[in-house]
Amino acid sequence: MQHFEEETFAKKEFDTKTWKRIFSFMKPLRRYAVIVVLCGVFLAVADLAYPLINRYGIDYIIENEDLTMLPWFIGVYVLFMLFMGLLVYTFIYFAEKVQNHLAYTIRQKAFKKLQELPFSYYDRTPAGWIMARMTSDSRQLSDMISWGLIDITWGGLMMIGLAVVMLILHWQLALIVLSVLPVLVYLSLYFRKKILKAYRSIRKQNSKITGAFNEGIGGAKTTKTLVLEDSNYQDFDMLTSKMKKHSIRAAMFAGLYFPTILFIAAIATALVFYFGGLDVRDQVIQVGLLYVFVSYVAQFFDPIMQLANTIAHFQQAQASAERVVSLIDADPDIKDTPEVIERYGTILNPKKENWEPLHGDVKFENISFKYKKGEQVLDDFNLHVKAGESVALVGHTGAGKSTIVNLICRFYEPTEGKILIDGKDYKERSMSWLHGNLGYVLQSPQLFSGTIRENIRYGKLDASEEEIVEAAKLVGAHEFISSFEKGYDTEVQEGGSRLSVGQKQLISFARALIKDPAILILDEATSSVDTATEQKIQKAIEVIMRGRTSFVIAHRLSTIVNADKILVLEHGKIIEAGSHEELLHNRAHYYQLYTNQFKETALIN
Amino acid sequence: MKRLKQFTKWMKGQLHLYIIGMLLLFFLQYFRTLTPLFVQHIVDTVFAGRPSALPQFVADWLMADTVQRQLLLVAIFSVGFALFRLTFVFVERVIFAVFTERTAYNMRNTLYDRLQNLSFTYHSQADTGDLIQRTTTDVDTYRRFIGEQLIDVLRLLFLMVFAVYQMTRMNPRMTMISLAMAPIIFISALVYFTYVRKIFQRVEEAEGEMTTAVQENVTGNRVVKAFANEQFEMEKFDETSTKFRDESMRLTRVMAFFWGGTDLLIFAQYALTASFGIYFAVNGTLDTGQFIAFLSLLGLIVWPLRQLGRIVGDFGKTTVALDRIDEIMAERSEHDDDSDFKPEIKGQITFDNVGFQFVDDNKPLLKNVSFEVEAGETLAVIGKTGSGKSTLMNLMVRLLDNQQGRIMFDGHDIRTINKKHLRKNVGIVLQEPFLYSKSVYDNIGIIKRDVPKERIIDAANIARVHDDIEDFEAGYDTLVGERGVTLSGGQKQRLAIARMLLDPKPVLIFDDSLSAVDTETDIQIRRALYKHWQNTTVFIITHRITTAMEADKIIVLDRGEIIAQGTHDTLLEEDGLYAELYHQQTKIAQEFEAKKGGGDDAAF
Repeated sequence: MQHFEEETFAKKEFDTKTWKRIFSFMKPLRRYAVIVVLCGVFLAVADLAYPLINRYGIDYIIENEDLTMLPWFIGVYVLFMLFMGLLVYTFIYFAEKVQNHLAYTIRQKAFKKLQELPFSYYDRTPAGWIMARMTSDSRQLSDMISWGLIDITWGGLMMIGLAVVMLILHWQLALIVLSVLPVLVYLSLYFRKKILKAYRSIRKQNSKITGAFNEGIGGAKTTKTLVLEDSNYQDFDMLTSKMKKHSIRAAMFAGLYFPTILFIAAIATALVFYFGGLDVRDQVIQVGLLYVFVSYVAQFFDPIMQLANTIAHFQQAQASAERVVSLIDADPDIKDTPEVIERYGTILNPKKENWEPLHGDVKFENISFKYKKGEQVLDDFNLHVKAGESVALVGHTGAGKSTIVNLICRFYEPTEGKILIDGKDYKERSMSWLHGNLGYVLQSPQLFSGTIRENIRYGKLDASEEEIVEAAKLVGAHEFISSFEKGYDTEVQEGGSRLSVGQKQLISFARALIKDPAILILDEATSSVDTATEQKIQKAIEVIMRGRTSFVIAHRLSTIVNADKILVLEHGKIIEAGSHEELLHNRAHYYQLYTNQFKETALIN
Repeated sequence: MKRLKQFTKWMKGQLHLYIIGMLLLFFLQYFRTLTPLFVQHIVDTVFAGRPSALPQFVADWLMADTVQRQLLLVAIFSVGFALFRLTFVFVERVIFAVFTERTAYNMRNTLYDRLQNLSFTYHSQADTGDLIQRTTTDVDTYRRFIGEQLIDVLRLLFLMVFAVYQMTRMNPRMTMISLAMAPIIFISALVYFTYVRKIFQRVEEAEGEMTTAVQENVTGNRVVKAFANEQFEMEKFDETSTKFRDESMRLTRVMAFFWGGTDLLIFAQYALTASFGIYFAVNGTLDTGQFIAFLSLLGLIVWPLRQLGRIVGDFGKTTVALDRIDEIMAERSEHDDDSDFKPEIKGQITFDNVGFQFVDDNKPLLKNVSFEVEAGETLAVIGKTGSGKSTLMNLMVRLLDNQQGRIMFDGHDIRTINKKHLRKNVGIVLQEPFLYSKSVYDNIGIIKRDVPKERIIDAANIARVHDDIEDFEAGYDTLVGERGVTLSGGQKQRLAIARMLLDPKPVLIFDDSLSAVDTETDIQIRRALYKHWQNTTVFIITHRITTAMEADKIIVLDRGEIIAQGTHDTLLEEDGLYAELYHQQTKIAQEFEAKKGGGDDAAF
């Protein structure tokens, strides 16, 4: 469930800057938008003209009892009918076209930005928030804009047109009718706001009920064992009672709105009856005109309600717009300098021909680091790892293991000091260059939907079939992959339970191996797998670490013992460093950790 | 008939509201068709002295000696009439809203209650997402149907009946002409909305694919970046995003065609009515006012016809939703035929040849399990994953019922004891305890809601979780659970222990409930607990030898059977699985000693 910031609303009345930015996305769609606006104009004209056509029939054919004009009348009607059919088709088509293409553009821009944003952005932004911007917000916003466009032109023109035509036809009667207008506009806006607010609170309540169901189902075992059924039910009843109350209140508002507007219309109509009727009696106007006025009064209320609706929605959509713009215009705080881009290219457009080979000599020089709002994680940290060496990072949660890995990957940049790769500050070369030479194996194997083959190929997009099989063989995954009915074409996400965690891990090893990276980052899993798989994984780890500079957030005894260097970290400092033997000999921190933690882990299996 | 019952059973207690609402709805539609007749009255009766289409008594009342007075009467009457009619429109809406929301409320509460009382077996096999769908979306489908769609359909039907009635009163021939296109419009709407659903499904699928692509990109962003595959991801996303856009546009073309086409049909109907109307009016068989009234009445029925097509097309959705809800209701509650026997439980427990197997499974999870525990003793159950440890525990609180043998609490077969009573007396701390979306404070005090804050802090201290809580931003007021802060496995486990401390029980079970806590803390907590629960019968389910070692009695489970029982010392002597597990640990210690030795040698 994505509850994050669901109820963030715009504070300002109307944020011109945000809307300008949103409308700037419309540029390539300008042609379609013009058509949509034109459709709104034609629609208003047609709606205005329709009663006039009938009036012609009443005043000139019926009242004059002159049937010779009837064929013309029918002809005009048929033309009007064809025109309306075509117009409705056109405006729906183009409004939707604008909507779909605008949503597409917004998604495209946002997604591109997402690829450029550094890892830290993801660290502080919940995935649900990003998802909501990419799906519901972009859809609602473009929906709002394309249909709002037509509603506003149609509604605005209708109102003006009705007033103008009425004034031309019979200005005295027109003024009488128009006198109810201010009341109408005020009431419409008032009710719309109230109704929207009421519905918002219903939605909020609704998501709470969904949450409660979720909890009731997910926590069923705990509820049963603690015998909490009755008290849970009381809590739930409070939610549903509130929901009932809010819903009825909203329905009352909505139920009051419509009749109120209609009542005002009835008053205006009555005024037309009386004053228009007197004019008919005095033969100032004909019956047909009376009909036109009665029709216009009825028509007047549609655009007003529609406009009130659109305005209210625009206010609501402003929050979406702000959030979308905040994503699209987010400034990546880690980016390559213009000089670097000049030479090495951008993330989406790398100049691979200028990339130097990466050997894997990594040096931390007086590195200090802290997360944006947080305490110092690393303080004057120094480390030199020669090409091909392996380093095991050991320590409690929060000791700084992940930070070191994040810095090497340039997911974050050091606050002070330099990280040298092959003797050169890594900021002097592009992020893509570094990532292009990096292998990364994650604690929980993150595979993408698609086949096993596609997932292995992810490490090297132009890999041949042989390379894929070779990589799978090397990490010991080929065997189980071939045992599947569809082999390498097996979907990894299929049914969820198809692949075990261990198998997924092996696939992610193959994915890293096929890339043949100079530097390897390995974040070992703590979760336990069965013994056979565990042995396979250990072997695979040996295979992929061979000959590469490796940094391992280590939990496996075997990995740690085999590392060239073990770093024991505490509070962002290396408190001990050396090989397994050396550290055990010291009988200090490593020894402690070793006896307490690893023993237990080994026992589980 | 069965459908009707399925349909109305949720309305129990408020059916009278629905009937009143329906009656109101019916008469209101009659009143609505009167509104266009005022113009007819003015044009035909006031000005031309022709008969009025309004009801006779109204027409009589509107008569006066001058035209001006007549017009004034019509104006006043029409406003008064509108006030009368619209007041009842409001009343009608409120009645339906109250009815609908009460029904939905009733439905949600019934479903929640039912879900809570369904058996553990049901819950362990159920698909959470699907259940949520049924209890929220399906309920809403039904709610919208009875509260909006059905009413819309009936409103339109009633309206059509009265509009046709008014038209026929004025001119039957014109009525036929004015309804000529209605069936075509309705049927094309019906066909369209059935057809479009398939396209709509494709759009939804395309959107789903796109969402997945974004989702994976966002959650897997480390991998994307570390593999420098941003370009590839862009292309992948672009493909799904374009597909979604293009599928939507396909839908758009069909949609635009339908709305454009039916608009054309509707105006064709207008053209028909207007042409014939004018012809008849000139002929003298139709009055001018009647002609105007025909145009207005036509407008009342012809536009909503398209919506009618959609709602009728959607009817199937509601029955599917109700079927899905009824499937939940058809499941038996685990308390349905529970006994009322509530003996005092002291804590002496006997397992007599107990066996258990799921109905649809071919392998028993437990068989021939026999042992005895005296009140106040501590028993450890040790075994590998899948050995049946958790099943043993589930049987003791009747989350599952054993088919073979007997489990006796103080000599009573637990299958004769009231389930809730049993569970109130047997506390369990689960390996993966569930925290509710409440504050830490409320979560610890969840069994005893009125407990003072000091006791909660005491309990948190004993469970070694107090310091963790103090580190949270809002301390004990921090919201946890699904909508709050995510806690680590160890923190959850310790919170669950604190929760249990507030309510002393004669029997306590720890289902591997310190597995995520490090050894040192584990020992500290256990020491504190033993002091607290000296007279409690304690079951400890574990895979840690160090934890099992200290128990009065140890049971070793393997593939559902007890393969050994005794104390730490006797089990070591037996040289079975227990000893093997124990030696595994010491082997690591030896290996480590050897390495250390090697290190020493090298140093000298």
